[in-house]
Amino acid sequence: MYAKEMLKQSLPLLIVCGLGAIIAGNTLGAMVDILQNIPGLIVVIPAIIALRGNISTALGSRLGSAYHLGIIDAENMWNEDLKQNIIGSLVLSFLMSFIIGVLAYITSLFFNVQPNPLLLIIIVVLAGGISGLILTFLTIIIIYLVFRRGYDPDNITGPALATFGDVVTMLCIFGSAVFVGGIV
Amino acid sequence: MIYSWKKIVKHALPLLTICIIIEIFAGQILQGKQEILILFPVFLISIPVINGVGGNIGSILGARLASGLHVGYISLDIKDKKMHENLFTSIIMGVLTYTILAILIYYTASFSGIRMDDINLIKFISIVLATGFLLICIISIVSVLTAFWSFKRGLDPDDVVAPVVTTVGDTLGIVFLFLLIGVVGV
Repeated sequence: MYAKEMLKQSLPLLIVCGLGAIIAGNTLGAMVDILQNIPGLIVVIPAIIALRGNISTALGSRLGSAYHLGIIDAENMWNEDLKQNIIGSLVLSFLMSFIIGVLAYITSLFFNVQPNPLLLIIIVVLAGGISGLILTFLTIIIIYLVFRRGYDPDNITGPALATFGDVVTMLCIFGSAVFVGGIV
Repeated sequence: MIYSWKKIVKHALPLLTICIIIEIFAGQILQGKQEILILFPVFLISIPVINGVGGNIGSILGARLASGLHVGYISLDIKDKKMHENLFTSIIMGVLTYTILAILIYYTASFSGIRMDDINLIKFISIVLATGFLLICIISIVSVLTAFWSFKRGLDPDDVVAPVVTTVGDTLGIVFLFLLIGVVGV
C-alpha cells in the first residue's frame, strides 16, 4: 500500500517535469547546427542546466523556510530579506556562469578542441544571467501565489522550478548563441 | 534582516563549484561523442529527460529518507525494511516514467521531422529504458548512502542529497546512454 501511495503522489508530477524536459530536449535538438558551428558550446549544457536547478531550487527552499519562520508572507513580501535573497541568487548566476565558460574553454583544450574563449564565455554569461533573472522573477511569483493560497511552498516550488528551469535555460542558451554568434 | 547576499553566495560557492566541475566533465563526454548526437538528434533530445527524471527520483527518495530518519521510522540500518520498500518503489517509478517519456520523445521527435534512420520505436525504448533502469538503480543506492552518511554525520540529508544525486545522475546518465547506444547499436 505504501508503494502504491508513493506512486500515486509522485508519478503525475514526474511525468509533468518530464514534459518540461522534453521541450528542453527539443530545443537542444533544434540547436544541432549551432552546436556544430560553435565548438565547446555543447560542453556547457549540462553544467548550466544543473546550475539553474541548484540556484533556483535553493532560493525557493530558502523562501519556503523564511515563510515558515514568519520572515516573509503575502502581505509583507517585498522586504530587505527578500531583496538580499534575490541579489544573492543573481550574483551566483553571473559568477558561476562565468566560471562555467572559463572551465569549458580550458578543459576543451585538453581534448584538442579550440573554442573561441570570448564567444563561449559571453554566450554562457548572457544565457546564465538572463535565465537567472527570469527564474528569480518566476520563483517570486510562484512563492507569492503559494502564500496567498496558504499552501506549503516546500511542496510546490521544487518541482515547479525544475519544470520551468530546464525550458527557460535551454531557450536562453539557444537565444544567446544565435544572438552572440550572429554578431561575432 | 537575517539574510545577507554575501553569506548566501559564500555558503553556496564550494558545493556549486564542485558540481560544475563534474558537470563540465559530463559536457566533455557530450563533445567527444558529438558526432553520434548530430547524426541521431533524438538522443540529444533524450539527454535532458534522462538526467532530469534520474535527478527527480533520486531527490524524492532522498527527501523521503530524510523525513523517515528525522521522524524515526527509518533506522540507520542497511537491512531496514522501510528503506528497502522506498528503494524498490523508486526503481518501479523510474521504469514507468522512462517508458512513458520514451514513447513521448519518440513521437514528438518524429512529429517535428527529426531524422531517425533505422531507429524504430522498440529499439529507442530499449535504449532509453535500459539507460534509465541502470541510472535509477545507481542513483537510488547513492541516494540511500548519501542520506545515511549525512544523517550519521549530523548533517541534514535534505540539504545534501539533492545536489549530490543530480550531479551524479547527470554524469552517469550521459555515460550509460552512450554505453547502451554502443551495446544495442544504431
